[in-house]
Amino acid sequence: MNTKPFTSGLSEHAVMVTRVADRQWHAWDDDLVVGRGYAEHRPDGRLFVSIDAWHDATFDRLAEAMLAQLPGPLYTVVDEADVELTAGWRRAGFTIRRREWEYVVPTDARVTGLEGVLPPSGVTIVPAGQADEGLLRAVDRAIRDEVEGCVGWQSMPAEVMCRAEGDTIVDPSRYAVAAAPEGYLGLMRVVTVNRPRIGLVAVRAGEQRRGIGRALLAHALGTLHRCGFAAAWTEVHESDQAASALFEGIGARPMSSNLELVR
Amino acid sequence: MTKNKNVIEVEGRVVECLRSAMFTVELDNGHQVLAHVSGKIRKNYIKIMLEDRVLVELPPYDLTRGRIVFRYRN
Repeated sequence: MNTKPFTSGLSEHAVMVTRVADRQWHAWDDDLVVGRGYAEHRPDGRLFVSIDAWHDATFDRLAEAMLAQLPGPLYTVVDEADVELTAGWRRAGFTIRRREWEYVVPTDARVTGLEGVLPPSGVTIVPAGQADEGLLRAVDRAIRDEVEGCVGWQSMPAEVMCRAEGDTIVDPSRYAVAAAPEGYLGLMRVVTVNRPRIGLVAVRAGEQRRGIGRALLAHALGTLHRCGFAAAWTEVHESDQAASALFEGIGARPMSSNLELVR
Repeated sequence: MTKNKNVIEVEGRVVECLRSAMFTVELDNGHQVLAHVSGKIRKNYIKIMLEDRVLVELPPYDLTRGRIVFRYRN
């Protein structure tokens, strides 16, 4: 742990930056903490940083100290509407690596047009909590293999913890699946903490454009609507036109965007 | 209200979502502050919305501004 004070000399103010823990920095103005910086490793090994400061000059000093002491590449996430914060990271040399749109997705079938939508012949939707765990993990691994190298999964900024078995299923009870006699063809994860968030909708490459994704959505959104939720949230990578079309086709609206920045 | 490490922390409720990723938070004492989301919350993809109950950090020299550092589960 480096607790040696760090001063940048960027301005005449006596703000001092100190590394107070392995992944934590404080900016001091006399005895007041006027800014904090954090670094955190994601399970995929990438190092994400964040800074909270009340003034640009303090932000810049924290960024300078942290960047001098941390190995690159470094990542951070900002709300694109937060122009001050985004500008701060740009001053520190960060550039945009990825943009994700946040959609609010209606659940009412009269709005989504998903009323009566059924999966294609031979496919059934298995509700969350009832999927066979072995088959679920198998379809997760298969889809991961298919999308590896594509936008979306490999570069996801959210935490995707790959387990020893090669799948990413943490809680099998969160997943609804599209099932066929030969195995599962697609899966969908919805997690509700305060409000429902659609974390994943994925269909095997050879089974796409058959309406399986829409059927999974119809099932999950219908369930949420019956539980009293008027809307759900999801994020879509800006280049993922298929996902954007799927959600916008059921009345979802982009509400904001997140930027992943890298230096 | 707690005061920790030179920071005042107050609980409140989001009453307005503004542009530029800002929020109006009504504190439990009835005051309203203009707050933004902390970097740690943003980094962890925690979405702040209307009616959310939150913990706000206030700078000791400007009690009209704030930073949302925690969102409570409803």
